[in-house]
Amino acid sequence: MTDMRGSGGNGEEERVREQSQRLKEKIERARGQFAAETAGPQRIGGEVTGMGRAMRLGTEFIAAILVGAGAGYLLDRWLNTAPWLMLVMLLIGFAAGVLNVVRAAESMNRAAPPPPGSDLGPGSDDED
Amino acid sequence: MADPNKVDPIHQFLITPVVSFGEGGFAFTNSALFMVLTVGLILAYLLLSTGRRAIIPGRAQLVSEMLYEFVANMVRSSAGTAGMKFFPFVFSLFMFVLVANMFGMIPFFFTVTSHIIITFALALLVFAVVIVYGFWKNGFKFLKLFVPSGVPGYVLPIVVPIEIVSFLSRPISLSVRLFANILAGHITLKVFAGFIVTLGALGWLGWLGAILPLVMTVAITALEFLVAALQAYVFAVLTSMYINDAIHPSH
Repeated sequence: MTDMRGSGGNGEEERVREQSQRLKEKIERARGQFAAETAGPQRIGGEVTGMGRAMRLGTEFIAAILVGAGAGYLLDRWLNTAPWLMLVMLLIGFAAGVLNVVRAAESMNRAAPPPPGSDLGPGSDDED
Repeated sequence: MADPNKVDPIHQFLITPVVSFGEGGFAFTNSALFMVLTVGLILAYLLLSTGRRAIIPGRAQLVSEMLYEFVANMVRSSAGTAGMKFFPFVFSLFMFVLVANMFGMIPFFFTVTSHIIITFALALLVFAVVIVYGFWKNGFKFLKLFVPSGVPGYVLPIVVPIEIVSFLSRPISLSVRLFANILAGHITLKVFAGFIVTLGALGWLGWLGAILPLVMTVAITALEFLVAALQAYVFAVLTSMYINDAIHPSH
Protein backbone atom coordinates (compact mmCIF):
# COMPACT_ATOMS: atom_id res chain seq x y z
CA MET A 1 0.00 0.00 0.00
CA THR A 2 2.99 2.28 -0.50
CA ASP A 3 2.04 3.64 -3.89
CA MET A 4 -1.66 4.00 -4.50
CA ARG A 5 -1.84 7.09 -6.71
CA GLY A 6 0.96 6.75 -9.17
CA SER A 7 1.12 4.12 -11.95
CA GLY A 8 -1.99 2.40 -10.53
CA GLY A 9 -2.23 -0.53 -12.85
CA ASN A 10 -5.09 -2.96 -12.88
CA GLY A 11 -3.14 -5.47 -10.79
CA GLU A 12 -2.49 -2.88 -8.10
CA GLU A 13 -6.21 -2.09 -7.75
CA GLU A 14 -7.05 -5.76 -7.61
CA ARG A 15 -4.55 -6.26 -4.81
CA VAL A 16 -5.97 -3.39 -2.75
CA ARG A 17 -9.49 -4.68 -3.17
CA GLU A 18 -8.42 -8.15 -2.09
CA GLN A 19 -6.70 -6.72 0.96
CA SER A 20 -9.73 -4.73 2.01
CA GLN A 21 -11.87 -7.83 1.52
CA ARG A 22 -9.57 -9.78 3.81
CA LEU A 23 -9.65 -6.99 6.40
CA LYS A 24 -13.44 -7.00 6.28
CA GLU A 25 -13.52 -10.75 6.94
CA LYS A 26 -11.11 -10.31 9.83
CA ILE A 27 -13.31 -7.61 11.40
CA GLU A 28 -16.41 -9.78 10.98
CA ARG A 29 -14.68 -12.73 12.63
CA ALA A 30 -13.46 -10.62 15.55
CA ARG A 31 -16.94 -9.17 15.98
CA GLY A 32 -18.54 -12.61 16.07
CA GLN A 33 -16.01 -13.84 18.60
CA PHE A 34 -16.57 -10.77 20.79
CA ALA A 35 -20.35 -11.24 20.68
CA ALA A 36 -19.98 -14.92 21.62
CA GLU A 37 -17.68 -14.11 24.50
CA THR A 38 -19.84 -11.39 25.98
CA ALA A 39 -23.32 -12.87 25.41
CA GLY A 40 -23.94 -13.87 29.02
CA PRO A 41 -23.33 -11.92 32.18
CA GLN A 42 -20.01 -12.64 33.84
CA ARG A 43 -20.54 -10.64 37.00
CA ILE A 44 -17.54 -8.76 38.18
CA GLY A 45 -17.13 -7.36 41.67
CA GLY A 46 -16.53 -3.65 41.47
CA GLU A 47 -14.13 -2.81 44.26
CA VAL A 48 -10.45 -2.34 43.77
CA THR A 49 -9.24 -1.05 47.13
CA GLY A 50 -9.61 -2.68 50.53
CA MET A 51 -11.38 0.45 51.78
CA GLY A 52 -13.93 0.13 48.98
CA ARG A 53 -14.60 -3.48 49.91
CA ALA A 54 -15.02 -2.62 53.57
CA MET A 55 -17.44 0.20 52.75
CA ARG A 56 -19.44 -2.09 50.50
CA LEU A 57 -19.80 -4.86 53.10
CA GLY A 58 -20.56 -2.39 55.88
CA THR A 59 -23.28 -0.51 54.05
CA GLU A 60 -24.86 -3.72 52.73
CA PHE A 61 -25.14 -5.03 56.28
CA ILE A 62 -26.41 -1.87 57.96
CA ALA A 63 -28.85 -0.93 55.21
CA ALA A 64 -30.70 -4.23 55.52
CA ILE A 65 -31.05 -3.87 59.31
CA LEU A 66 -32.34 -0.31 58.94
CA VAL A 67 -34.83 -1.29 56.27
CA GLY A 68 -36.06 -4.26 58.30
CA ALA A 69 -36.50 -2.29 61.51
CA GLY A 70 -38.03 0.67 59.68
CA ALA A 71 -40.53 -1.50 57.82
CA GLY A 72 -41.44 -3.25 61.08
CA TYR A 73 -41.95 0.09 62.83
CA LEU A 74 -44.25 1.35 60.08
CA LEU A 75 -46.22 -1.92 60.02
CA ASP A 76 -46.60 -1.68 63.81
CA ARG A 77 -47.98 1.84 63.57
CA TRP A 78 -50.36 0.74 60.86
CA LEU A 79 -51.60 -2.43 62.58
CA ASN A 80 -51.24 -1.23 66.20
CA THR A 81 -49.13 -4.23 67.18
CA ALA A 82 -46.19 -2.39 68.71
CA PRO A 83 -43.54 -3.56 69.36
CA TRP A 84 -43.83 -7.08 68.00
CA LEU A 85 -43.55 -6.63 64.24
CA MET A 86 -40.59 -4.32 64.68
CA LEU A 87 -38.76 -6.96 66.70
CA VAL A 88 -39.51 -9.67 64.16
CA MET A 89 -38.57 -7.46 61.22
CA LEU A 90 -35.37 -6.39 62.98
CA LEU A 91 -34.31 -10.04 63.12
CA ILE A 92 -35.32 -10.56 59.49
CA GLY A 93 -33.36 -7.44 58.57
CA PHE A 94 -30.35 -8.85 60.39
CA ALA A 95 -30.64 -12.08 58.40
CA ALA A 96 -31.03 -10.09 55.17
CA GLY A 97 -27.90 -8.12 56.08
CA VAL A 98 -25.92 -11.33 56.52
CA LEU A 99 -27.30 -12.54 53.19
CA ASN A 100 -26.26 -9.28 51.51
CA VAL A 101 -22.75 -9.55 52.93
CA VAL A 102 -22.43 -13.20 51.87
CA ARG A 103 -23.57 -12.31 48.34
CA ALA A 104 -21.20 -9.35 48.11
CA ALA A 105 -18.29 -11.45 49.39
CA GLU A 106 -19.21 -14.18 46.92
CA SER A 107 -19.02 -11.80 43.97
CA MET A 108 -15.72 -10.41 45.29
CA ASN A 109 -14.31 -13.91 45.55
CA ARG A 110 -15.39 -14.65 42.03
CA ALA A 111 -13.74 -11.46 40.81
CA ALA A 112 -10.44 -12.44 42.45
CA PRO A 113 -10.04 -16.23 42.53
CA PRO A 114 -7.05 -17.62 44.44
CA PRO A 115 -4.05 -18.46 42.26
CA PRO A 116 -3.96 -22.12 41.17
CA GLY A 117 -2.06 -24.44 43.48
CA SER A 118 -2.45 -22.26 46.57
CA ASP A 119 -3.16 -23.97 49.89
CA LEU A 120 -6.73 -23.20 50.90
CA GLY A 121 -6.70 -25.26 54.08
CA PRO A 122 -8.65 -28.48 54.67
CA GLY A 123 -11.83 -28.88 52.64
CA SER A 124 -15.26 -29.37 54.21
CA ASP A 125 -15.20 -33.10 53.38
CA ASP A 126 -11.83 -33.75 55.02
CA GLU A 127 -12.00 -36.14 57.93
CA ASP A 128 -9.13 -34.77 60.00
CA MET B 1 -16.98 31.72 58.32
CA ALA B 2 -16.73 34.97 60.18
CA ASP B 3 -13.72 34.07 62.29
CA PRO B 4 -10.82 32.90 60.11
CA ASN B 5 -9.25 30.99 63.01
CA LYS B 6 -12.36 28.94 63.63
CA VAL B 7 -12.46 25.78 61.55
CA ASP B 8 -15.92 24.77 60.39
CA PRO B 9 -15.68 21.58 58.34
CA ILE B 10 -19.45 21.33 57.76
CA HIS B 11 -19.83 24.78 56.27
CA GLN B 12 -18.96 23.56 52.78
CA PHE B 13 -22.15 21.50 52.60
CA LEU B 14 -24.49 24.42 53.31
CA ILE B 15 -27.16 24.90 50.68
CA THR B 16 -27.74 28.55 49.87
CA PRO B 17 -30.12 30.04 47.35
CA VAL B 18 -28.51 31.62 44.33
CA VAL B 19 -31.75 33.01 42.88
CA SER B 20 -34.96 33.00 44.96
CA PHE B 21 -38.40 32.87 43.41
CA GLY B 22 -41.10 34.33 45.64
CA GLU B 23 -41.76 33.75 49.31
CA GLY B 24 -42.39 30.01 49.31
CA GLY B 25 -38.73 29.16 49.81
CA PHE B 26 -38.50 27.92 46.27
CA ALA B 27 -35.07 28.83 44.99
CA PHE B 28 -32.33 27.96 42.55
CA THR B 29 -29.65 26.83 45.00
CA ASN B 30 -25.92 26.29 44.73
CA SER B 31 -26.66 22.55 44.62
CA ALA B 32 -28.92 23.01 41.60
CA LEU B 33 -26.35 25.30 40.02
CA PHE B 34 -23.66 22.63 40.25
CA MET B 35 -25.98 19.96 38.92
CA VAL B 36 -26.64 22.17 35.90
CA LEU B 37 -22.90 22.80 35.53
CA THR B 38 -22.21 19.05 35.77
CA VAL B 39 -24.71 18.18 33.07
CA GLY B 40 -23.57 21.13 30.98
CA LEU B 41 -19.92 20.10 31.16
CA ILE B 42 -20.70 16.49 30.22
CA LEU B 43 -22.90 17.53 27.31
CA ALA B 44 -20.46 20.13 26.03
CA TYR B 45 -17.46 17.84 26.28
CA LEU B 46 -19.08 14.84 24.64
CA LEU B 47 -20.68 16.89 21.88
CA LEU B 48 -17.57 18.92 21.10
CA SER B 49 -15.12 16.02 21.28
CA THR B 50 -17.16 13.64 19.14
CA GLY B 51 -18.53 16.27 16.75
CA ARG B 52 -15.86 15.72 14.12
CA ARG B 53 -16.18 11.91 14.16
CA ALA B 54 -12.61 11.52 12.97
CA ILE B 55 -11.58 7.98 12.04
CA ILE B 56 -8.23 8.62 13.67
CA PRO B 57 -9.37 10.23 16.94
CA GLY B 58 -7.73 13.24 18.50
CA ARG B 59 -7.02 13.36 22.21
CA ALA B 60 -10.43 14.69 23.24
CA GLN B 61 -12.28 12.21 21.07
CA LEU B 62 -10.09 9.39 22.35
CA VAL B 63 -11.10 10.17 25.95
CA SER B 64 -14.78 10.13 24.98
CA GLU B 65 -14.35 6.82 23.19
CA MET B 66 -12.50 5.35 26.15
CA LEU B 67 -15.31 6.40 28.48
CA TYR B 68 -17.78 4.76 26.13
CA GLU B 69 -15.72 1.57 25.91
CA PHE B 70 -15.20 1.47 29.66
CA VAL B 71 -18.89 1.73 30.52
CA ALA B 72 -19.92 -0.55 27.65
CA ASN B 73 -17.56 -3.29 28.85
CA MET B 74 -18.81 -2.86 32.39
CA VAL B 75 -22.47 -3.19 31.37
CA ARG B 76 -21.70 -6.11 29.08
CA SER B 77 -19.72 -8.02 31.67
CA SER B 78 -22.26 -7.63 34.45
CA ALA B 79 -25.58 -7.66 32.58
CA GLY B 80 -24.69 -9.35 29.28
CA THR B 81 -25.53 -8.15 25.78
CA ALA B 82 -29.20 -7.92 26.74
CA GLY B 83 -28.22 -5.29 29.27
CA MET B 84 -26.82 -3.00 26.59
CA LYS B 85 -30.35 -1.62 26.21
CA PHE B 86 -29.62 0.21 29.43
CA PHE B 87 -26.24 1.48 28.34
CA PRO B 88 -27.43 5.12 27.93
CA PHE B 89 -28.92 5.00 31.43
CA VAL B 90 -25.81 3.58 33.10
CA PHE B 91 -23.53 5.88 31.12
CA SER B 92 -25.54 8.95 32.17
CA LEU B 93 -25.45 7.90 35.83
CA PHE B 94 -21.72 7.14 35.69
CA MET B 95 -20.83 10.43 34.02
CA PHE B 96 -23.07 12.46 36.34
CA VAL B 97 -21.63 10.94 39.50
CA LEU B 98 -18.05 11.06 38.20
CA VAL B 99 -18.18 14.69 37.09
CA ALA B 100 -20.11 15.78 40.19
CA ASN B 101 -17.48 14.09 42.41
CA MET B 102 -14.64 15.66 40.44
CA PHE B 103 -16.25 19.10 40.62
CA GLY B 104 -16.33 18.61 44.37
CA MET B 105 -12.54 18.29 44.40
CA ILE B 106 -12.09 21.84 43.11
CA PRO B 107 -11.74 24.29 46.03
CA PHE B 108 -14.83 26.46 46.76
CA PHE B 109 -17.00 24.24 44.59
CA PHE B 110 -20.10 22.61 45.98
CA THR B 111 -20.18 18.79 46.03
CA VAL B 112 -23.56 17.66 44.76
CA THR B 113 -23.09 14.00 45.76
CA SER B 114 -22.33 14.86 49.40
CA HIS B 115 -26.07 15.21 50.02
CA ILE B 116 -27.98 12.01 50.59
CA ILE B 117 -31.11 13.38 48.95
CA ILE B 118 -29.27 13.49 45.61
CA THR B 119 -27.73 10.02 45.84
CA PHE B 120 -30.96 8.54 47.19
CA ALA B 121 -32.92 10.05 44.30
CA LEU B 122 -30.41 8.48 41.87
CA ALA B 123 -30.72 5.10 43.63
CA LEU B 124 -34.53 5.30 43.59
CA LEU B 125 -34.39 6.03 39.88
CA VAL B 126 -32.29 2.88 39.40
CA PHE B 127 -34.82 0.84 41.36
CA ALA B 128 -37.81 2.31 39.56
CA VAL B 129 -36.15 1.24 36.30
CA VAL B 130 -35.32 -2.24 37.65
CA ILE B 131 -38.83 -2.88 39.01
CA VAL B 132 -40.75 -1.45 36.05
CA TYR B 133 -38.57 -3.21 33.47
CA GLY B 134 -38.52 -6.44 35.49
CA PHE B 135 -42.32 -6.65 35.61
CA TRP B 136 -42.71 -5.47 32.03
CA LYS B 137 -40.24 -8.02 30.69
CA ASN B 138 -40.91 -11.03 32.94
CA GLY B 139 -44.42 -10.37 34.24
CA PHE B 140 -45.04 -12.11 37.54
CA LYS B 141 -41.98 -14.28 37.00
CA PHE B 142 -40.05 -11.25 38.23
CA LEU B 143 -41.22 -12.22 41.74
CA LYS B 144 -38.98 -15.29 41.40
CA LEU B 145 -36.25 -12.89 42.43
CA PHE B 146 -37.57 -13.34 45.97
CA VAL B 147 -37.80 -17.13 45.78
CA PRO B 148 -34.36 -18.70 45.47
CA SER B 149 -34.37 -21.92 43.48
CA GLY B 150 -33.80 -25.22 45.28
CA VAL B 151 -35.27 -24.12 48.59
CA PRO B 152 -37.81 -26.51 50.15
CA GLY B 153 -41.33 -25.12 50.53
CA TYR B 154 -41.50 -25.12 54.31
CA VAL B 155 -38.67 -22.60 54.75
CA LEU B 156 -40.11 -20.19 52.18
CA PRO B 157 -42.10 -18.20 54.80
CA ILE B 158 -38.75 -17.29 56.39
CA VAL B 159 -36.66 -16.94 53.23
CA VAL B 160 -39.05 -14.76 51.21
CA PRO B 161 -39.26 -11.89 53.77
CA ILE B 162 -35.47 -12.00 54.08
CA GLU B 163 -35.09 -11.75 50.32
CA ILE B 164 -37.60 -8.89 50.17
CA VAL B 165 -35.81 -6.93 52.90
CA SER B 166 -32.51 -7.66 51.16
CA PHE B 167 -33.92 -6.27 47.91
CA LEU B 168 -35.37 -3.19 49.62
CA SER B 169 -32.06 -2.49 51.34
CA ARG B 170 -30.25 -2.11 48.02
CA PRO B 171 -31.27 1.47 47.19
CA ILE B 172 -30.25 2.47 50.72
CA SER B 173 -26.84 0.82 50.61
CA LEU B 174 -26.28 2.14 47.07
CA SER B 175 -27.04 5.74 48.05
CA VAL B 176 -25.49 5.70 51.53
CA ARG B 177 -22.19 4.34 50.21
CA LEU B 178 -21.72 7.11 47.67
CA PHE B 179 -22.89 9.87 50.00
CA ALA B 180 -20.92 8.63 53.03
CA ASN B 181 -17.68 8.25 51.09
CA ILE B 182 -17.84 11.73 49.63
CA LEU B 183 -19.06 13.39 52.83
CA ALA B 184 -16.49 11.71 55.07
CA GLY B 185 -13.67 12.41 52.64
CA HIS B 186 -14.48 16.10 52.35
CA ILE B 187 -14.83 16.54 56.13
CA THR B 188 -11.51 14.75 56.76
CA LEU B 189 -9.81 16.92 54.18
CA LYS B 190 -11.21 20.08 55.74
CA VAL B 191 -10.31 19.03 59.29
CA PHE B 192 -6.70 18.28 58.41
CA ALA B 193 -6.39 21.49 56.43
CA GLY B 194 -7.86 23.31 59.43
CA PHE B 195 -5.12 21.91 61.68
CA ILE B 196 -2.56 23.77 59.57
CA VAL B 197 -4.30 27.11 60.20
CA THR B 198 -4.78 26.43 63.91
CA LEU B 199 -1.18 25.33 64.45
CA GLY B 200 0.11 28.22 62.36
CA ALA B 201 -1.40 30.65 64.85
CA LEU B 202 0.98 29.34 67.55
CA GLY B 203 4.16 30.86 66.11
CA TRP B 204 7.22 29.24 64.54
CA LEU B 205 6.95 25.99 66.52
CA GLY B 206 3.38 25.72 65.29
CA TRP B 207 4.49 26.20 61.71
CA LEU B 208 6.98 23.39 62.20
CA GLY B 209 4.25 21.14 63.57
CA ALA B 210 1.92 22.12 60.75
CA ILE B 211 4.10 20.19 58.29
CA LEU B 212 2.51 16.92 59.43
CA PRO B 213 -1.11 17.89 58.69
CA LEU B 214 0.09 19.48 55.45
CA VAL B 215 1.54 16.15 54.34
CA MET B 216 -1.69 14.44 55.37
CA THR B 217 -3.77 16.96 53.44
CA VAL B 218 -1.79 16.36 50.28
CA ALA B 219 -2.09 12.59 50.71
CA ILE B 220 -5.82 12.74 51.45
CA THR B 221 -6.40 14.95 48.41
CA ALA B 222 -4.86 12.27 46.23
CA LEU B 223 -6.93 9.61 47.99
CA GLU B 224 -10.08 11.67 47.47
CA PHE B 225 -9.51 11.81 43.72
CA LEU B 226 -9.25 8.01 43.78
CA VAL B 227 -12.42 7.71 45.87
CA ALA B 228 -14.30 10.12 43.59
CA ALA B 229 -13.55 8.02 40.51
CA LEU B 230 -13.99 4.71 42.32
CA GLN B 231 -17.39 5.54 43.79
CA ALA B 232 -18.72 6.56 40.39
CA TYR B 233 -17.47 3.23 39.07
CA VAL B 234 -18.99 1.26 41.95
CA PHE B 235 -22.31 3.03 41.54
CA ALA B 236 -22.39 2.17 37.84
CA VAL B 237 -21.28 -1.46 38.35
CA LEU B 238 -23.93 -2.09 40.99
CA THR B 239 -26.55 -0.43 38.80
CA SER B 240 -25.75 -2.78 35.95
CA MET B 241 -25.76 -5.76 38.33
CA TYR B 242 -29.25 -4.82 39.56
CA ILE B 243 -30.36 -4.37 35.95
CA ASN B 244 -29.07 -7.89 35.33
CA ASP B 245 -31.45 -9.06 38.08
CA ALA B 246 -34.33 -7.40 36.24
CA ILE B 247 -33.39 -9.18 33.00
CA HIS B 248 -32.67 -12.59 34.56
CA PRO B 249 -34.71 -12.68 37.77
CA SER B 250 -33.67 -16.14 38.98
CA HIS B 251 -30.68 -16.33 41.27
